[in-house]
Amino acid sequence: MQNNTPTPNGGVCVEVRELWKVFGANAEQLLRSDRRSATKESILEETGCVVALRDLSFEVQRGEFFVIMGLSGSGKSTLIRCVLRLVEPTAGRILINGEDVCAYDEAQLMELRRHTTSMVFQQFGLFPHRSVLDNVAYGLKVRGVEKEERYARAREVIGKVGLREWESYPPSALSGGMQQRVGIARALATEPEILLMDEPFSGLDPLIRRQMQDELVELQAEVQKTIVFVTHDLHEALKLGGRIAIMRDGEIIQIGTPEEVITAPGDAYVREFVQDASPAKVLTAGTIMEQPNVLLYEWQGPKAALHILKTTGLDNVFLVARRGRLLGLVTVDRLAELIKKKGTSVKQALEPDMLTCTTDMIVEDLFPLAASTTYPIAVVDDKGKFVGEIHISTVLSTMIQKKEEEQEEREEKEEKEAMKADG
Amino acid sequence: MVEFPELFQVPLAEWVDAVMSWVLTNWGAAFDAVGDVILFALLRVEWLLLWLPWVVVVVGVGVVAWRAMRRWVAGLLMAGFLVLIGSFGHWDLAMMTLAIIFAAVMISLAIGIPTGIVMARSNSVEAIIRPVLDAMQTMPSFVYLIPALMLFGLGKVPAVFATIIYAVPPVIRLTNVGIRQVPSSVVEAARAFGSSSRQILFEVQLPLAVPSIMVGINQTTMMALAMVVIASMIGAKGLGMEVLLAINRIQIGKGFEAGLCIVLLAILIDRVTHALAARQEYAVTS
Ligand SMILES: Nc1ncnc2c1ncn2[C@@H]1O[C@H](COP(=O)(O)OP(=O)(O)O)[C@@H](O)[C@H]1O
Ligand SMILES: [Mg+2]
Repeated sequence: MQNNTPTPNGGVCVEVRELWKVFGANAEQLLRSDRRSATKESILEETGCVVALRDLSFEVQRGEFFVIMGLSGSGKSTLIRCVLRLVEPTAGRILINGEDVCAYDEAQLMELRRHTTSMVFQQFGLFPHRSVLDNVAYGLKVRGVEKEERYARAREVIGKVGLREWESYPPSALSGGMQQRVGIARALATEPEILLMDEPFSGLDPLIRRQMQDELVELQAEVQKTIVFVTHDLHEALKLGGRIAIMRDGEIIQIGTPEEVITAPGDAYVREFVQDASPAKVLTAGTIMEQPNVLLYEWQGPKAALHILKTTGLDNVFLVARRGRLLGLVTVDRLAELIKKKGTSVKQALEPDMLTCTTDMIVEDLFPLAASTTYPIAVVDDKGKFVGEIHISTVLSTMIQKKEEEQEEREEKEEKEAMKADG
Repeated sequence: MVEFPELFQVPLAEWVDAVMSWVLTNWGAAFDAVGDVILFALLRVEWLLLWLPWVVVVVGVGVVAWRAMRRWVAGLLMAGFLVLIGSFGHWDLAMMTLAIIFAAVMISLAIGIPTGIVMARSNSVEAIIRPVLDAMQTMPSFVYLIPALMLFGLGKVPAVFATIIYAVPPVIRLTNVGIRQVPSSVVEAARAFGSSSRQILFEVQLPLAVPSIMVGINQTTMMALAMVVIASMIGAKGLGMEVLLAINRIQIGKGFEAGLCIVLLAILIDRVTHALAARQEYAVTS
């Protein structure tokens, strides 16, 4: 389900070296002087220049889901636009597949934007005078692909994002979530190597946002693009990111996996950011759940079921009905008993003590549940469909991280108090 | 001290004459060429309108008005206006007036839309052109007759020339505005997908500016109509001249008839171009 590890299929895709972006007159002159190291505020006061990006360096691996997170105004949009030179960097280098984009002329830039990259925008940036189909086909059109071919490809992608019936409507006829699907389809239609997404889900309401995040994760598992994803939402970053770069005032404070960011915040700023985000409080059942190796279907006979369990070496397995509706948990012991009694339906072998939760349940709230059972907890969506399972050990390990933190805090407090008492 | 001193005189008229004669000797060929283009366009349109049987024109205008306004009553009304003009015996004059308007509007668009595009793409060009347009729109219309007269003498060509100068600002202005108000997020998206600046212009900016440009065309046409009446003072034959003659001869009834024809033409042109402009808002290509 989660895609938290960069797929190690080869090398650096995007490399940013000592990148600066300063808005305002005489920006280059400012960078050559030693005032460049002054704070953003004092530079703004003295020269009227806005330092949007300050000396950034990082790499994005091929196939990686790279998240850039920071508060509003920290320079995320500027950074992601610099990669395509939609905003001109003031200094530094940006290498895509080893080539310095900053040295490109206009024709090379167009080539890069047409073939290698695609972008998804927070305000969607759809063409209001074009149908959904023409919007999605736009990237292919500017590339000069024949009408039939580009429409065929566009229809394919529109189908993938579930908007088949909407292809002849203008974007204004669609809801926000659907419009962003069009934005994503438009980006995918050109089959880019690198997908740049600037807060694509920020304008959507929470329910749609979560759904779109899930779909994006699924999509990424399928297409394996290099994705650079901007967000100001920590939860989103933790959910999606293979690695997260945290920005403040145009600088990158920390780069790391979600676990690293939460368990070892780089400095006070990051700690404050992730303060309420101790894993157990942040992570939901949906993010820590796993896909079971085997599922049992109600129409399978008891003997077949027992055989499946024996060959996979499992003690228990979830039973689902048509369309994945959860029926319950079947254990080896109960199955064996059922067969002895010559029962015919696996439904007679259900374990009464099974527990379920929904995908959005916070891990912390799962803890009491986990303590009261030895079986995995079933995760269902709001329609009762089985979507995954959670093992007690997973809940515990997430909780332990939290306990350790609390322990540390307590010790710190005690030390301070002891010092006070001494002094 | 009652009368202005005769000694203090600025011989501006002589200077202007000198400049004009210099311009005409050195740039005469250029103005001849401009005059030829104007005359060519005008004569073609005039020939066509006078050659077409009146029934064809009436029915054609009726159908266009009906399609544009989506009401057959409107089409019938507009066709009725033309029949009324014909019944006053002013058919040929009305066609001549229409021809001048048509030619002037065509040339205005050919000049105005590209100028508006250039203006929209460069802030410095906008900074230069905008005050010129402002000044042009504050001047009374007959002022434009003077340079037209000086460059082209009397007749149809200066009339069309003056009409163009007077009528071109709205279409320039509204092309510029239309392109500039295309959301920057949309233009940026087009850029991000590797559009050339040509593609951005033709695929995104111009299509989205069409409603605004159509309003500009409507305004330009209306100003052309207003100017054509005034341009009759320098020899443009048509309804305007009929009004002028009637006034000079104190023939109130005839003047009223010709004036009414102009009003009817104005309503006709305004309603049709206005309806065409309004329809653009809802057009989505696919
Ligand atoms: N075109 C611009 N001119 C001047 N300052 C800008 C411009 N664009 C962005 N900035 C400034 O750069 C900083 C970073 O902005 P931005 O990249 O949009 O941040 P974010 O996307 O993280 O909210 C902000 O202080 C913003 O005011
Ligand atoms: Mg932003």
